[in-house]
Amino acid sequence: MKSVWRQPLFLLGFGIISFFLVGSFVYEWIFGNVPKQTFFIEENGRAVEGPPISPKWMHPLGTDQFGYDMFGKIMIGAKYTILAAMAVAALRMLIAIPLGFALGTYLQRQRSWINGLIDPIHYVPMTIFAVILLTPVLWMPQEGFSTTLTERLVIQVVIMAIMTVPIVAALIGNETNLLYHQEYILAARTLGASRRRLIIRHLFPQMREKMLVLYGQQVVESLIVFAHLGMLQLFLGGTDVDYDPMFADPPRSISYEWAGLFGNSFRYLQGAPWLPLGPAISFALVILAIAAMIEGYTRATNGQVTLPKRKRMAFVSEETVDWNQQQLREKMILLQKEARR
Amino acid sequence: MKRILLWSIQFLAAFFSILLLSGAPVLITGFQQGKLLWNEYIETIKLHVTSLMNLRELSVDYYVGRGEMRQVPVFPQLLENITYSLQLLFLALVTAVVFALIGTFITMLLREKARARVKLFFYFLESLPDILIILLAQLFVVIIFQQTGILVSKIAVIGDDRIYWLPVLCLMILPMIQLYRLSMLTFEAEERTMYVELAKSLGFGKAFILFMHIFRNAIVSVFFQSKKTMWFMLSNLFILELMFNIPGVMLYMFENLSGTLFLVTIMSFFLPIFILYSLGEWYFIHRLKRGGVVG
Repeated sequence: MKSVWRQPLFLLGFGIISFFLVGSFVYEWIFGNVPKQTFFIEENGRAVEGPPISPKWMHPLGTDQFGYDMFGKIMIGAKYTILAAMAVAALRMLIAIPLGFALGTYLQRQRSWINGLIDPIHYVPMTIFAVILLTPVLWMPQEGFSTTLTERLVIQVVIMAIMTVPIVAALIGNETNLLYHQEYILAARTLGASRRRLIIRHLFPQMREKMLVLYGQQVVESLIVFAHLGMLQLFLGGTDVDYDPMFADPPRSISYEWAGLFGNSFRYLQGAPWLPLGPAISFALVILAIAAMIEGYTRATNGQVTLPKRKRMAFVSEETVDWNQQQLREKMILLQKEARR
Repeated sequence: MKRILLWSIQFLAAFFSILLLSGAPVLITGFQQGKLLWNEYIETIKLHVTSLMNLRELSVDYYVGRGEMRQVPVFPQLLENITYSLQLLFLALVTAVVFALIGTFITMLLREKARARVKLFFYFLESLPDILIILLAQLFVVIIFQQTGILVSKIAVIGDDRIYWLPVLCLMILPMIQLYRLSMLTFEAEERTMYVELAKSLGFGKAFILFMHIFRNAIVSVFFQSKKTMWFMLSNLFILELMFNIPGVMLYMFENLSGTLFLVTIMSFFLPIFILYSLGEWYFIHRLKRGGVVG
């Protein structure tokens, strides 16, 4: 197998993601978790520009309406958004993979009607579904949250993961079922391999690459849903709503995660386009990076499968192996005859 | 006859699953308090069914101002919203399909090396988030207006007017790229089959084979795989309505968030799309069978 580390596309994507992730932690470590605030810019002793300040050398992405540096906000928020998306995708895959394998092997008979039940989910747009499910969790009620920030984060990640588990599971199930009818699986079955063994030794190694690619796609999908939720004022880890009837602050995001940065600022597009564009471009960059990693990975592993290391088995005599081979040959001949009839 | 029965079973199953989903928020609210609200869940679903039964009387709270509230009937206002949304959706779908197919034809006529580059380019273009595309489109219009004073299109709907081409453009770009990549894959798979080689060896031109043979066979599998694009488009439409302030059904639902409205909204998309896909499936399978191949 060619190494993925020799693929320029993979390296590029990996570089961008690690820039955001490592950069996020380093930034917070150096500058603290409040970005730099500038109230106005002076030139020759006169204030020439007040916040929101347009992009300059000092503020590469400008500042927001309160003078906070956008670049700092984006860097601080990066880790929440990226890690949450990765967690959602990972949890989703963890649940969907066993279900998918079960669907493709143990539940073959029931597969068609299970698929029929899952199919209508395709008509429910993901974002709307997420909004309906997450509003009771993330929107602060009048009397304040009854849950802590961590609880809300965990609940959000779990709900978003479970939301599309059926679809991913059906996808894996269909793929497994396709593989299940291949000849080498048939050979293994005639030798008496149990379904469990088939899954572990044959199907899983064969599917591993596809599942990694699927994982990447799920991360992208979760990032996009985060961005959409941000537009609907449902931020990662909850929305802090001010119920003051007179001078209510706009809904606030609790951390500086990107969904909140984007959702709070897209109304300023005409006056201060750098406000929504900064987070939107960061979203796009991370998604592009993941796409590049997927492409590099598929190029590196094209068509190659790595088997798990063979467990050291108890001593098997030559005779047993010979006997096995003979059995296989006979049964294959039998099968062939049957197929001809 | 059997087909119709199967179709109605499918339809009922779909309706049933969407109904089950519409009550899910109650379960989550209960889960937050550490309780399992089964009875409430069933109650909510019953409520949704009854309110669907007398749809005409469905109404939402409407703030008149100063904390006053009035009950405003949903229909016929919602019907207008639904038509607007569906118009946008299907206009975008048609343009996306047309442009994707034209793009596929042009790329298929290119040489291998150029083709690979075009494909990589579109692969990366596909991963742009929709919010960025809409933002850039709006910004572009604003910049043009500032520079030249020409308003190419309105970037938000105010009052009763309707805008079409800019939202349709924003909505079609990503599905178009997805469909393009999908049809490229199937076209290329089809290109490697025996009958294409035979046609080539008989001396037919590239464009002729592409149009008369490959296209006809590939379009079937493109159709069956396009469901996912449709799903993706629905999410996009939601964001689009929000960012353009379009008075569509999704914006309406978001402004009056309730389980019943969720159900109505989903059904209003589900019905036309489901019918479209059923008809398409029926047509393609019919055609396949007439050719002697059992689909």
